[in-house]
Amino acid sequence: MAASHSKAKAGADQPRTTRKVMMARVHEALGRSQTQPPAEPAPVIDDDLVRLASATDDLPALFTKRAIEVGMKVQRVAAADVIGAVTRALTDRQAGRVGLSVYSMGDDFKLAESLELQGIETFDFASNAASLDAQFEFDAGVTDVRAAMAETGTMICTSGPRHSRGLSLVPPFHIAIVRASDILPDMLDFWAEIRGIPSPELPSSIAFITGPSKTADIEGVLVTGVHGPGEVLILLVDHA
Amino acid sequence: MSTTSTPPNSQQSSPSPQPTMPAHAPASLTLEGSEILFPSLPYDIQKRATSATQDPQLQAFVNNATLHKDTARKEAFAQWFGDKYDDLRTLGGQIKQHTLDYLDHYLDQWIDNAEAAGVKVHYAATDEEANAICVDIAKRHDAKLCVKTKSMVTEETHLVPDLEAIGCETIETDLGEFILQLDHDAPSHIVTPMIHKDRTAVARAFTRELGAEYTENPEALAMIARNHLREKYRQADIGISGGNFLVAESGSVVICTNEGNGRLSTSVPPVHIAFVGIEKMIPRRDDLAVLLKLLARSAVGQPLTVYTHIMTGPKRATEMDGPEEMHVILIDNGRTEILREETREMLRCIRCGACLNACPVYRKVGGHAYGAVYSGPIGALITPLFKGLKNYKDLPFASSLCGACYEACPVKIDIPKHLIRLRGELIGMGQASMVDKVFFRLWATSLKYSPTYRLGGWAQKMAFRMQAKLNRSIQGKDPYVSRGWLEKAPGPVAGWTSQRSMPTPPARSFRDWWRSERDGKTSDQSSSKTSDQSNGDSTPGKGA
Repeated sequence: MAASHSKAKAGADQPRTTRKVMMARVHEALGRSQTQPPAEPAPVIDDDLVRLASATDDLPALFTKRAIEVGMKVQRVAAADVIGAVTRALTDRQAGRVGLSVYSMGDDFKLAESLELQGIETFDFASNAASLDAQFEFDAGVTDVRAAMAETGTMICTSGPRHSRGLSLVPPFHIAIVRASDILPDMLDFWAEIRGIPSPELPSSIAFITGPSKTADIEGVLVTGVHGPGEVLILLVDHA
Repeated sequence: MSTTSTPPNSQQSSPSPQPTMPAHAPASLTLEGSEILFPSLPYDIQKRATSATQDPQLQAFVNNATLHKDTARKEAFAQWFGDKYDDLRTLGGQIKQHTLDYLDHYLDQWIDNAEAAGVKVHYAATDEEANAICVDIAKRHDAKLCVKTKSMVTEETHLVPDLEAIGCETIETDLGEFILQLDHDAPSHIVTPMIHKDRTAVARAFTRELGAEYTENPEALAMIARNHLREKYRQADIGISGGNFLVAESGSVVICTNEGNGRLSTSVPPVHIAFVGIEKMIPRRDDLAVLLKLLARSAVGQPLTVYTHIMTGPKRATEMDGPEEMHVILIDNGRTEILREETREMLRCIRCGACLNACPVYRKVGGHAYGAVYSGPIGALITPLFKGLKNYKDLPFASSLCGACYEACPVKIDIPKHLIRLRGELIGMGQASMVDKVFFRLWATSLKYSPTYRLGGWAQKMAFRMQAKLNRSIQGKDPYVSRGWLEKAPGPVAGWTSQRSMPTPPARSFRDWWRSERDGKTSDQSSSKTSDQSNGDSTPGKGA
C-alpha cells in the first residue's frame, strides 16, 4: 500500500534512543548542558479569569442546567426514591442485563434486590461479576460518581477497587447517581481536591464525562451513541 | 462535533437511487499520482490547490463546515468568557511557553512520575523509531489486532502500514478515521478528519467494505460503524492512542474525545500504547483547567469534549479493570529543532484546528493541498520545519497573512509573523522565483535613487495606463482621471491580477503635485484635486 514510504525495518536493529540521549537533544535546543529548575515559577492561574462557577452558586441547579445543555437527562430525586427511579428507567427501556457499581448510598441501598424482583439480571462490579468483557452484553450500567462539576455539567468517574472503567462507557445506557454533595463548582476545585496525591496512588483512570457519546463526522450532523452510551440519565439526589 | 446539528449539504437527503458504485476500492492512498500526506518531495502545491478550487463539492463541504466551526468557537468564547477571552488566551500561551522554556525540567519530572505509576516510557528520536518501538511491543505480545484512536502523531509517523506489515490488523476507531481507512483516504483536518467527504461516500464505503445495506442516514451509518467496531474492542490485543497533554506533576497522559472510542481503546485491550510528542507537556493539573477550557471551545465550540480521559499508569493491583501494561512513546521527530529559541513558540500548538477553520486559504483549498499531515496555517508553518523548507517552499506563501489564524489561536502563536520569517529564509536560500528576483531587484534599485525612482514611476504609469485603456469598463474615459480598476496586469505581473484588481495610478504623482504647490504655480487644476492624489481611492476625480 505504502509504496513510496517503506521504512518499517529502519531502527529495528539499531540501538534505541535513551532518556539520556533525548534529554541531551532538549538541552541543546534550550542552550544548556543539564536540566535546570525553572528560573521563574509557572504562570499563576488567575482564579477570576479561569473559574466559571464558585461555591456561592446554586450548584445542583447549575449542574442540572449544564448537564441538560450537553444532552444528558437529569431527574432530581429524594434519596428514598432512587431505587424506584432506577427501576422505572430500566423497566421502561426493557433492560434485561444491568451492571451495578453503586457504593455511595450506604449499606441499606438494596438496588440489586429490587431490580431482580422486576426480573432484571444484575451483575455487581465489586464482586467481580461485571468484567469489561461481560459489560459488552449489558443493556445498562448504573454507577455512582467520584465527583461532579457544576461548571460544565460534568461527571467524574474513576477506576478503583469498586469502580469500573467500563460501566459508564460500554453499555448503551448509563444511569449515574450523583449526590448534591458530590458537586464541585469548577474543574479547579477537583484538582484542589486531589492535589498532592502521589502518582502511584491516583486512580489509573479519571474520566470527565460531559454528555452522551457524540459524533458529527458525517456532514456535521450530530449523532449520539456511536461508541459510548447514547443515553445518559443522571439521578440527582438532593440529600444523601 | 458541535452540539448543534447542521445540515450543510442536505441536497441529497432524499433517498437516492441505488447508486452504480464501483465494486472495488478506490485506487489507493493517492491524489494527483502521489500519496496524499506523503507526496514526493519537493512538494508543489499548485496542482492540488488548483484542482481543489475547481471541485465544487469540496468547496461546499469545507467552506460550510469550517465557517460553522469558526462561528461555534467565537460564540462559545463570547458566551462563557466575554471580554476575558483574550486574557485567557494569553494565559494559555504563557503556560505553554513556560513549559517549553523549561522542557528539560518538566520532561524529567513527568518521566519520574509516570514510571512511579507503572508506565513504561520509551524515547523515539524519529518517526521510524517510534513505529519500531510499537512494532516490537506488538511482536512481543504476538498481537493480531490493534484498535486505534485518532491521533495526529501516529499519522505523522505513518504507523498503520508498519503494524500491518507484521500481520497486525490495525483499525482506526474514530468514526471519521474509520471511514477514511475503509476508503483508502487520508485525513484533511486536524480535528474533523473527513471534512472533505459527504454521506454518500460513507454509504458507498460501508456497502462495499462491510457489506452493509445502502443508507445515507447519518444515524444509521454511525450505528453500522458501532456494531462493526464493538467486537473489535473486545478482541483487540493492543489499544493505541495519542495524547493531548502530558501532566508533569502526576505523570499523566490526557486524551480528549467525543465518541468514546478513546476511552474504549485505552481501557479494554490488555496493552495500551500512547504516542505523544514531547511538546504536549504542561506542568500542573491546574493548567488543564485553562487549556481544556480553551481546547474544546476552540476545536468544536463545546465547553469540554464529552470524554476527557486522564490516565496515570496501567491498572493498579487493587483495581478491577484496565490495561495490564501502559507504554508511552515520547516522540522528538524534529521537535527539538523547533524548540530552538526563534521557533519555540510554534510548539505551543494544542492541535485544536481553530486556525484551519478561520483561514480563508484552507477554506478554499482544503487540507490535502498542503501535502502533509498537518494542514492549514499551523501546517504551513511546522511542515517546512519538520520536513525541510526546500521540500515545502510553497507552504509559507500559502497564506494571505490576514491574521485570522493568530486571532483564533487559543495559545496566541503569532503564525503570520513566523510565516513571514520563513519567507525571508527562503529568499535567503535563493529559493525565490526568477520573476520575483528580477522584480524585487529592480524595485529595490529604483527606490534607492531619485532619478530611477521617477523613471520607475513613469514606466509603471505608462504600462498601467496602456493596460487600463484596454479595460472595457472604462473605455472612452480617460483612465487617468476616472480611476478605473486594472483587471489584467501585463506580462509577469498577470498572476497577481488573476485573483484581484488594482486601481490605476492617479493622474499626477505626489512629487509633481508638490512641485507645483511649492512653486506656487497655480495651474488649471486647483486644490480640489489633492484628495485625488492621496491614496488610491477609486473616487472619480473632478469633471472629465
